[in-house]
Amino acid sequence: MKFATSSIHVCASIGIWLLLAPLLPGVINKVKAWIAGRTGPPVLQLYFDLARLWRKQIVLSTAVSPAHVAGPAVAFVALVGASLLLPLGRAGAPIAFEGDAVLFVYLLALARFATATAALDTGSAFEGMGAAREVSFAVLAEAAIITALLVLGVQTGSVSLTRMLAPAAGAGTMLLAAGLYMVLLAENCRMPFDDPNTHLELTMIHEVMVLDHSGPPLAVILHGAALKLLIFCVLLTEAVVPLGGLSPLVVVATLGGAVLLTAVGVGVVESMQARLPFRRVPMLLTTAFLLCLFALMIAWKRNPL
Amino acid sequence: MTPGWLVFAAGAGVVVGLCGSRAPRVWLTATVAGAAAALAAALWVLIAGQTWDWRFAVTLGGEALHLRLDGISAFFLALLALVGGLCSIYAHGYWRDEDHPASAPSGRAWWSTVLVSMALVLLSTNGLHFLVAWEAFSVGNYFLITRERHKPEARSAGWLFLVASHAATLCLIVFFAGLAARTGSWELGPMQYRSELAPWFWLALLGFGIKAGFFPLHIWLPSAHANAPTHVSALLSGVSIKMGIYGLVRFSGWMPAPDGAGWVIAAAGAASAVLGVAFALGQHDLKRLLAYHSVENIGIILIGLGFAMVAAAHEEYAWGRLAMAGSLLHVWNHALFKALLFMGAGAVLHSTGTREMSRLGGLWRAMPWTAALFLLGAVAISGLPPLNGFVSEFLVYLGLFGAVSAHTSGSWTAAPAAILLCITGALALACFAKAFGVVFLGLPRSDAVARAHEHASAMRVPMLLLGLACVAIGLVPAAVWALLAHAIATWQPGWTETAPPASVVALSEFHVGVAVFAGLGVWALRRRVVRNGLTRAPTWDCAYARPTARMQYTPGSFAAIITAWFGWILHQRRRVVRPAGPFPTHASFEEHTPDTVLDQVVRPGGVLVMRAAGAARRLQHGRIQAYVLYVLIGVAGLAILAVTGGAR
Repeated sequence: MKFATSSIHVCASIGIWLLLAPLLPGVINKVKAWIAGRTGPPVLQLYFDLARLWRKQIVLSTAVSPAHVAGPAVAFVALVGASLLLPLGRAGAPIAFEGDAVLFVYLLALARFATATAALDTGSAFEGMGAAREVSFAVLAEAAIITALLVLGVQTGSVSLTRMLAPAAGAGTMLLAAGLYMVLLAENCRMPFDDPNTHLELTMIHEVMVLDHSGPPLAVILHGAALKLLIFCVLLTEAVVPLGGLSPLVVVATLGGAVLLTAVGVGVVESMQARLPFRRVPMLLTTAFLLCLFALMIAWKRNPL
Repeated sequence: MTPGWLVFAAGAGVVVGLCGSRAPRVWLTATVAGAAAALAAALWVLIAGQTWDWRFAVTLGGEALHLRLDGISAFFLALLALVGGLCSIYAHGYWRDEDHPASAPSGRAWWSTVLVSMALVLLSTNGLHFLVAWEAFSVGNYFLITRERHKPEARSAGWLFLVASHAATLCLIVFFAGLAARTGSWELGPMQYRSELAPWFWLALLGFGIKAGFFPLHIWLPSAHANAPTHVSALLSGVSIKMGIYGLVRFSGWMPAPDGAGWVIAAAGAASAVLGVAFALGQHDLKRLLAYHSVENIGIILIGLGFAMVAAAHEEYAWGRLAMAGSLLHVWNHALFKALLFMGAGAVLHSTGTREMSRLGGLWRAMPWTAALFLLGAVAISGLPPLNGFVSEFLVYLGLFGAVSAHTSGSWTAAPAAILLCITGALALACFAKAFGVVFLGLPRSDAVARAHEHASAMRVPMLLLGLACVAIGLVPAAVWALLAHAIATWQPGWTETAPPASVVALSEFHVGVAVFAGLGVWALRRRVVRNGLTRAPTWDCAYARPTARMQYTPGSFAAIITAWFGWILHQRRRVVRPAGPFPTHASFEEHTPDTVLDQVVRPGGVLVMRAAGAARRLQHGRIQAYVLYVLIGVAGLAILAVTGGAR
């Protein structure tokens, strides 16, 4: 009985995450179009793209190994796994145990490893470049995330995301939010870290890693990227807003509103800011890490357990 | 059959192997049978949770022979037997008599010697016998490392190893002699109640630390691992350096630890973890890269051990047990995946003749098994779910988060440790994306790859078994918990709890789910791709029509961003010849990451010592008149001393 309810919970969560994820890039693009005075693509554009890509033929490089197709699939499964650890509303996460916060960080890392390996598989200089940047910048981003999790851990005395994210982040909330927001932009390859729309391969990170992907694997990659964006938006929202004690309806409304607001914010930043030169990216990420570190110090001082 | 008889059978097996080392098949059969018996004995002791103790009537060096197999020694003996046995099978295929008529038979003899002496190190409870076994194991390792002594770099690596080993042995001789002088006997055993012995632990830390190779005592490790034959590198990295960890675990359990020893060990661990992987990123030699990852993983083990010692000092059972479990499990895990990776590197070296990563590439076509198993090892060592590397790091993290939540005095140090551990994980991921991607994926970078071929089953079977062990511990960590629990209970007698923590059980289920769904996902995507139809075309190099394999990213360029961050310690040497003139004829780029501690601390120190010794040597020149003068000065000095001192 318990197994049945928990598997229904898991399946429902997967469905919600996967269905809603492609909405966010659409929202961001719409915001960018509005600010630029264009009409822009429809909000549901990514859904159409995914459906079309899923039916398409694929062009595979002659150099690639089976890892080229396996990589996106593994990355996608890892991201879905990470999404299952995040609580949605009062019922908590479908899968929750002490230590799942660490697992969350390492599932994101698994997705990164799979993507970078699939990129190196093509033997292209550009894709090597993208993979190198991705894994290097992720070192700093990951340090910021674990610091943010330590903040939440100090406040709640727990290592499970469901319990860590129920209350707000306390006195250091603003610092933590700023730090996590920068990590969100970096990890999802958004301005000012990466330009999702550029046409110059030399200056890209994420997009250049997937140059040689097409058809269904590309659909899986795009869907995974959207899912990762949603995961970070939800993580940011729940770290800042105390959703733990609210009624279900309010939780859904707050979560939805805050996630949309974050997406709009990403769109606004993207319209206002130019991409940073690559040598400045580590500095910005270090700033994000330091913000989280200050939040940790505040949390430590405020919680003499 | 009891563990005692199994240990006896194991010893007999390896000794028969030693005697029959002229005949490869006899040696292999006897050694593997002995290893299997030792593994059975160790698992028996760990599962039954008992201690096996055997006193002999024989005396050795005036001391009665006394062997003991308890939780900790059984834990390390299981590792020695499993990895040692598998490496023996690999050695049989890798270092054959046909290719190495001179060095193969004597190599097998030294190999058996090393296995026996390591087992004796684990079993002996007498300081004197411990030292004898330790020395035999060090010297045996020296002869294994210098199998190819016609190569100057192998000779110098062996020399460095010998010097470092003897520095370690010297510390241990003083340590054991000191203990014997204070306790009145060479017998070793629990002595926590004698708090005056605590300062001696620092000597043990130094001696065992050199063997374990944590930063900055790791200087011997990279060159020894890189220049030894690969089966030896696998044994060195998988088992030999763990003897240092064994010593630390053993004596931190038996002795009263001095204040702050836990912090020092954890700090050394954190430094080793981050700097080890930073140095690994700078390497272009596949085996040197793997060697620096040993420094990193020893660091992770020591972070866990250090915080477990802190927990023991503060009587914090809940998180201390998790940190210790993570540390011990990482000892096993590192041996499994590192031996696997070294065997993969050995297969590459054997078939292409080079360890230089920038000359390799695209090997997955010629060596699909090696590529797949190396990938498995790479995922495991990067600490990614659902494999074993993540399980042990997860336990260490749980310990660190527990320390942070406990909010006791000084437990804030667990926060930087957790952050550094996370950075280590991300760097290791970058390093293994580089190593696997450059060596096995893409296009061949030189002709060396053209000769590549898959190997005989003697080399593939041990890799397959190690890979299976990595997967098994990753998917069902709860199954090994009982073994861990017994080792922990031996370390801290109060810490007994055999049921695995709920989070390990949950993680186990999650790992199985991830593995199953990843498999299903790959299968479904492949099916979809095949059904939609696929076309083959050259890699899209942004419309460049004639890409060549030399345009691929090299190991140096892949790691360049991160190595620049660590430039303050890596001190990379570059030699650049830039293209000049309108029709450049020649351009080249060379990059080399030497070991900073060895080159800028130890070598100048050595030069200084030699200079001082050279100056002192001038006193000894063979002129009798001057010697008479020395005697006169000495006598005069003594006379003055006698006159002035005698007044009192």
